[in-house]
Amino acid sequence: MSADSLHDEEELGKAVDRRMLARLWPYVRPYSWLFVADLLLFVPLFALELAPGWIIKHGLDSVFGGLESTDTAAQTLAIADFAGTWASSWLEPPGLFSALGWLALLYGVVSLALAGLQFVHMYMSAWLGQLAMRDLRTSVFDHIQKLHLGFFDRYPVGRLVTRATNDVENVAEMFSAGLVALVIDLVKMVGYAAILFAISWKLSLFTFAVVPLLAVAAVIFRLKVREAFRETRLRIARINAQIQETITGMKVVQLFTREDRNFSDFDEMNALNRDAWHRSNRWDGRLFSVVEVAQNLTVAIILGYGYGLAAIGTFYLFIDYMRRFFMPLRDLSAKYSVMQSSMAGAERIFELLDTEPAIVDRAAGADPIRAGSDARGTVVFDNVWFAYNSDATAGTPEWILQDLNFRVEPGEKVAFVGATGAGKTSLIKLLARLYEPQRGHIVLDGNLLADLPQTEIRRRVATVLQDVFLFSGTIEENIALGRDDLSMEQIVAAAKTVEAHAFIERLPDGYQTELRERGSNLSVGQRQLLSFARAVAHGADILVLDEATSSIDTETEVVIQRAVQKLMQGRTAIAIAHRLSTIQDMDRIYVLHKGRIQESGTHDELLALEGFYYRLYRLQYRAEQVRIQATA
Amino acid sequence: MMAARNNEAATSDAGQIAEMRRGRSSVSAALARLSHYVRSNSRYYAIWSLITLGYVGTFLAVPLLTGRVVEAITDQQPADAIVRLSLILAGVGVLGGILRYYSRVLVFNAARTIEYQIRADLFAHLQRLPQSFYFGWRTGDLMSRCVNDLNSVRMLLGPGLLSVVQTPILYIGALAVMFYMDWQLALLVLVPYPLFILLARAFGKSMYRWSIAVQEGLADLSNQLQETISGIAVVKTYAMEGVTRMRFGKANDALFRRHLKLVRISGAMPAITGLLPSMGMLIILWVGGSRILDGRMTTGDFFTFAMLIYQLTFPTFIMGWVFSLIQRGSAAMQRVDEVLATEPSIADRPDAVDLDDMRGEIEFRHLTFSYPGPVREPALCDITLTVPSGSTLGIVGPVGAGKSTLASVIPRLYEVEDGQLFIDGVDVNRLKILGLRSNIAMVPQDSFLFSMTLAENVAYGLPETDPKQVAVAVERAQLAKDLAELPHGLATVVGERGVMLSGGQRQRAALARALALDPRILILDDTLSSVDAATEQAIQRSLDEVFAGRTVVCISHRIGSVRDCDQIIVLEDGRISEQGTHAELLLAGGFYARTAREQALEEELDGIGEVA
Repeated sequence: MSADSLHDEEELGKAVDRRMLARLWPYVRPYSWLFVADLLLFVPLFALELAPGWIIKHGLDSVFGGLESTDTAAQTLAIADFAGTWASSWLEPPGLFSALGWLALLYGVVSLALAGLQFVHMYMSAWLGQLAMRDLRTSVFDHIQKLHLGFFDRYPVGRLVTRATNDVENVAEMFSAGLVALVIDLVKMVGYAAILFAISWKLSLFTFAVVPLLAVAAVIFRLKVREAFRETRLRIARINAQIQETITGMKVVQLFTREDRNFSDFDEMNALNRDAWHRSNRWDGRLFSVVEVAQNLTVAIILGYGYGLAAIGTFYLFIDYMRRFFMPLRDLSAKYSVMQSSMAGAERIFELLDTEPAIVDRAAGADPIRAGSDARGTVVFDNVWFAYNSDATAGTPEWILQDLNFRVEPGEKVAFVGATGAGKTSLIKLLARLYEPQRGHIVLDGNLLADLPQTEIRRRVATVLQDVFLFSGTIEENIALGRDDLSMEQIVAAAKTVEAHAFIERLPDGYQTELRERGSNLSVGQRQLLSFARAVAHGADILVLDEATSSIDTETEVVIQRAVQKLMQGRTAIAIAHRLSTIQDMDRIYVLHKGRIQESGTHDELLALEGFYYRLYRLQYRAEQVRIQATA
Repeated sequence: MMAARNNEAATSDAGQIAEMRRGRSSVSAALARLSHYVRSNSRYYAIWSLITLGYVGTFLAVPLLTGRVVEAITDQQPADAIVRLSLILAGVGVLGGILRYYSRVLVFNAARTIEYQIRADLFAHLQRLPQSFYFGWRTGDLMSRCVNDLNSVRMLLGPGLLSVVQTPILYIGALAVMFYMDWQLALLVLVPYPLFILLARAFGKSMYRWSIAVQEGLADLSNQLQETISGIAVVKTYAMEGVTRMRFGKANDALFRRHLKLVRISGAMPAITGLLPSMGMLIILWVGGSRILDGRMTTGDFFTFAMLIYQLTFPTFIMGWVFSLIQRGSAAMQRVDEVLATEPSIADRPDAVDLDDMRGEIEFRHLTFSYPGPVREPALCDITLTVPSGSTLGIVGPVGAGKSTLASVIPRLYEVEDGQLFIDGVDVNRLKILGLRSNIAMVPQDSFLFSMTLAENVAYGLPETDPKQVAVAVERAQLAKDLAELPHGLATVVGERGVMLSGGQRQRAALARALALDPRILILDDTLSSVDAATEQAIQRSLDEVFAGRTVVCISHRIGSVRDCDQIIVLEDGRISEQGTHAELLLAGGFYARTAREQALEEELDGIGEVA
């Protein structure tokens, strides 16, 4: 269990939240036929539950003939009389059967039918629930994919996964064990009461005398159970949070010899939790016992006061139906807690679904994509300001990029250099529209970036990010990344272009080699080559390349450098360079420092300037020397 | 599935280490431990067993008495006889309810008490286990034992034990009554039961199989989701949303189908168990009915039989569930026992001593240290070094050279062999842990803060939160100026669930926590990496002032932080490669000198930015 799910457990609200139910309804609606069918099933199901008691009553009264029926017409409502006569007509044996044999046969058939129908009912509820949950999961997934990158900086992965898995499972419980069952139980209880009254209202009056008492007790006990239950949920969440925190910070705990005090704090909570559970158990036990006592008492009442009021078979019927009447009360608290965690799960899911994606395409049909005033492959940054934290907190934004202005013509190759934290990587994320600038514009091929649909941007700009992310799947899949229109030849060609073909061929299954988790069976250099192959295969006009910082051996580095050159051929290229040696023949170099462009020009121009670039170059050159010495 | 297997492969190394570190536990050892807890609550269980017998009595008496009343009615006995019998029935019914209450509450509460005891023991035990233990165990795994497994153990002791003890007694009692009344009918009623037991076992098995399949489906789905989210930048830059959606859809559909398969079995189970009493009733109706017709059975006995069958329904109904509770519970207890059976390897020896007044001299004599696990390079190799009392030691070196390990063995976070590490001339292994650690304050690299107020965090090692001491420590750690920015100043809740502090603020809070202890030895493990240069200098000044005459060990990747140390060592691959003062090391022209030059250049660059 993850830490956040423990924390989430703290908030437990209502068991039946109409707002949540209304929001869940759209997921059930497509399957409303199933819903209706499941509800309709209730009628034969209830009839089949009533039948066994009736059969035995008939046996006791009419077949075994213990006593002549003393049911007086005055106590039996006309409708029950009519229904009773109709039902009894079924119980008269056809020619071939003895009276008892016929009843036994009927009893067997009814029992089997009941079992079968119960199964069908349960299956249909679960089917409905799972259909709805499958769709809910899909919505959660789709929604997560739509959210902009900044969202994921704040929301831990584990928590998002919990939304689509555990929380949805909790909601599904409601269908199989919660709400529907609760409603059906209630309807059944009313049904049993009504039928018993119809058969003998006088006997029913005696019998149901205990019910108001029971109801009052049940309401009080339930409240008490709920109170204790709520307390235990809160306490256990805090206990588990403390265990987790202590394990995570164990080094500090032991260094500061805090063990004894920690334990006494923990013990206090742990003991309170135990006591709350003891309380909860006692109230729950009372509820359980009261139901049992009521059940036993009704038997005594039926027999002790009812004799003379009805036939012996009617007594049996009363005892049987009263048992069924009381049955749902037993697991009321279990159902209640199922509902509660369902609702809490739904609440968390919808909270996520309510998070608006910050970066969306312009409304469809607003403006068709114009040809653009610039040629394909032009990138313009116009007064761009950007900060990660501007939407999260009020304070002053920490500008990562400030007043950035530059223009890259088609086919031009430019590089950005600067120390760590200068804002180079952020620039790339803006260009891929993973984030949006707070001020200024980015113009792509003469179109405002914000006006282009996201899929269109992805088509025009191929981005190679610094950390190469590989998906589980084959090498081929990791180059194609879902583009079905790429033929195997194109993929191989792309791999050849960046000199990845050779190493791929050496892998056990070539292009069909399954990558282990995140490609851990490949070297850093190989993974980079793969990410280059991706970019080539997707063939965009503009290449954006964030060079990896991680050091690789000199030999691989040479291969990668060649690959980068090939990659940039015939394209507009914007490269974030960490090694100055790689960018000496770029058309233009921008030096970024603290979010601003400090200098720009060709390598030679910048060196002649003896400014920032000059020093950076000197520093890197030395580091490079050190590295070469070290490896030598 | 694929990803899950890969996961295993990737963590197999860690798994091996974990195996080695884990206490061995078998089912019998686990159950022995469990029975120890049960015995410590034997008073409850003794009363409970008496009450259970009483409850079984009423459980049988109700159907018997019902039969008698019915007989009285059919025999047309006088009204007062019927009423008297009914009153007895009512009385027994009430008594049964009361006994049931105590039977349930006693056993459930005892289970909660044992849960409380095991949890307390687990917590105390975890606090005693050394850092090396936490290498082999992931937090999630330990948490799952403290939360999920403990829960399963409690279910075993509560509803599990209740059913296992009570149900057979109920059955024996009910059968005895039935056999006494009519042994032939009783035998006939029993006919379906063996069949059902077989059926229930078969269902139990395939239910188990499919619930595992559902769990795997869920894990698969989680992996898909996790992968998509982790690679969301790639997903977006290559417009892969459609593909990932399709992949997720496949996993989603598979899970859906598995769920339905499971329902097919779990739904059939209650339907079939429900048939059990129905079959019993069918036999009673048919056979018992013909006996009534023959005059060999009374209507009253018919009622008694019918009610006994009904009353057995619920206990029978939950037997399948109870079996899985027992299975799961004993496996869970074994997992809990694995933790509890691990002996703490760092503990006070019987002859351990306390240093009356620690001077703070640290001496390493040919110290060699390896982390537990499969054979690998020692993390520290042949370290010989003396840090005189009151002097400062600077440690620099590349990542993974063993700097943190060297610092961590001083307060005995890891165990070293005898004769390799001495404090004030006494072998650390002969020192009492409490005395040793309360004289040493270490600021670990990760500056972990607890979810308490800032003041409580700073006073973490103090017996109580003394505002004066806190204020002094906060001042010395240069944290005082940040307090105004925090919503509630020192009373702001920080840590995991509190306000986000910046990296530098966290580090300074962790430093204040160490300073508040006023230790003899202060160890700083690259503590100020996120603190800006100006603040760091201010901290250095206040440390110089406060710690004049104390021993300070300072690990840093910044030359500026160690340059004024009395002696500086360079660690490379677990060995001391250079040793001397700042000036000496610069002249030596090794790692230290190179790093110093690079950092000087970097500073120069930063300087330009400031000007521009």
